[in-house]
Amino acid sequence: MSLLSVENLSIGYQTKKGMLKAVDHIRFDLEEGDSLGFVGESGCGKTTIGMALMGLLPENAEILEGRIRFQGRDLVLLTEPQWRQVRGAKVAMIFQSAMNALNPVFPVDEQIKEAIVTHQPDISDADLSERMKQLFDLVDIPLARMKNYPHEYSGGMKQRAVIAMALACDPALIIADEPTTALDVIVQDQILREIKMVQQKTRTGLIFISHDIAVVASVCERICVMYAGQIVETGTRKEVFKSPRHPYTQTLLGSYLSLDNLKDIKVPDMKESPDQLTDTNECRFSGACPSCDRKCAGRSPEWIEISPTHQAFCCNPGLIRRGHGKN
Amino acid sequence: MEKTDTKNRLLVELKQVTKAYAPKKRWFVRSSQPVLALNSIDLGIEHGEVFGLVGQSGSGKTTTGRLLAKLESPTAGEIYFDKTPISQLKGVRLKAYRSRVQMIFQDPYQSLNPHLSIAETVLEPLMVQGIGTRDTRMEKVVHTLDLVGLSPGEAFCHRYPHQLSGGQRQRVAIARAIVLEPQFIVADEPTSMLDATIAIQLFKLLQEIKETFGMTFLFITHNLAAARYMCDRIAVIHEGHIVEVNTAENIIRHPEHPYTKKLIKVQPGFKYGR
Repeated sequence: MSLLSVENLSIGYQTKKGMLKAVDHIRFDLEEGDSLGFVGESGCGKTTIGMALMGLLPENAEILEGRIRFQGRDLVLLTEPQWRQVRGAKVAMIFQSAMNALNPVFPVDEQIKEAIVTHQPDISDADLSERMKQLFDLVDIPLARMKNYPHEYSGGMKQRAVIAMALACDPALIIADEPTTALDVIVQDQILREIKMVQQKTRTGLIFISHDIAVVASVCERICVMYAGQIVETGTRKEVFKSPRHPYTQTLLGSYLSLDNLKDIKVPDMKESPDQLTDTNECRFSGACPSCDRKCAGRSPEWIEISPTHQAFCCNPGLIRRGHGKN
Repeated sequence: MEKTDTKNRLLVELKQVTKAYAPKKRWFVRSSQPVLALNSIDLGIEHGEVFGLVGQSGSGKTTTGRLLAKLESPTAGEIYFDKTPISQLKGVRLKAYRSRVQMIFQDPYQSLNPHLSIAETVLEPLMVQGIGTRDTRMEKVVHTLDLVGLSPGEAFCHRYPHQLSGGQRQRVAIARAIVLEPQFIVADEPTSMLDATIAIQLFKLLQEIKETFGMTFLFITHNLAAARYMCDRIAVIHEGHIVEVNTAENIIRHPEHPYTKKLIKVQPGFKYGR
């Protein structure tokens, strides 16, 4: 059985204009020790998924339907006291801005100890300090810096401390939400290696959320591409990046400037994301889709299988299977 | 680089420019050493080129941009614009300089005044410089909005920044920068807050603007791939020193300085399995 299995999950935000479906019928599985990346533009719902997995959805959000099965339990049904047993201990999160994730008035080691003691109140002092040493070794922070305050750390070290905090209770699943967005390229490179190395060493399940496809490509084995609240393509890293099938994935990859793909940069004619207030079965990308023809409008997309691990969500099976002549 | 024949065509020239930030004086705290953001740098930007300045955070690239826009003054050295030392500019001539050099900032959520409508935002530079009459100014604003892809311009005039997406806001910031038809634009990480699909469209827009007006650009970024896409020449800056200047292709293909090599190595790409 997989570690995490999300079935048919829909999450809405109550807004002044009505219910906004930020996540629409999402399904995915994650095996133990596997890494899954979510890519998409801002507002596509990727952070909402992360928050739902942590039980940290804001007040105005509502899980409309679906199940989140984690280690045999349905997380959707948990009450807040039950969540407190799971959050941090079994599911942990690496937050986006390490600057804000640490409390400035406590030394870093106190904050990480707090996470451990909360979930293991009867841990002995010797065990606790042993665990702390392990954690700081794992994320490469010198032990001498353990008792420093967050402001004495550089940006990269703070992010490492946040990673250590997430690992503190040996969780089965880690959610990393844009962990390197606030860092510059050189530090980003170190942190990404760190996350990957730690994840492989501890065999933790990893959900990695980012708007930067190349960052996701460097960490995750499997990728989900999201657009306007839906997963539009899923597959292994190689499948999605070497032979993208969904027109949106192709647009995203074609407009990404990297040092290895400068030649075939295409400037998309992208419009704003569609209105997610109206509930519709129609394809959401059709308004901006480069391969969409009239026949597509009004039809509802379906999952099309390219290989057992590679699927795309589109109205045009022929188009997806042919791979648009680009392969 | 053969300095003699390029020298006449230089629009902007930095000569041994140093910028030090003195630490704030506080009671009972011994003041620390001043921070050298720029350490005696020399740089020349030619007429009509897009010049890239690449480095990591804290390397001094934003400071360089701010010195050129005369938002700050160098501690030592001199900046020449069209052969005129800009530290000497005062009064009318300073005001004229400000109309010839414009800046596009990184964060479109912070660089636009939330209380001003889009029309007022783009109108302001024209009012300050006293250009045109009321009607011709408005015409110019609408025309400029059309030009940056906010069309029809009339439809956007009465909106406010909070009603626009990040990409649209940055287009407004570009419209504000080009409405005076300046000679030189400093673009400081103009797309680092935006998604890839939006960023590439803005790059295309900046290139079109460059073609239309023949402007010179200083393009500041930490993203080497973006710099290569946009720029003719690139300078790599590290801890306040320019470590390497070359054409964009040569910087990427034949980097000489170890820091440039390191920077190329850490750029995210689709290298499967690091």
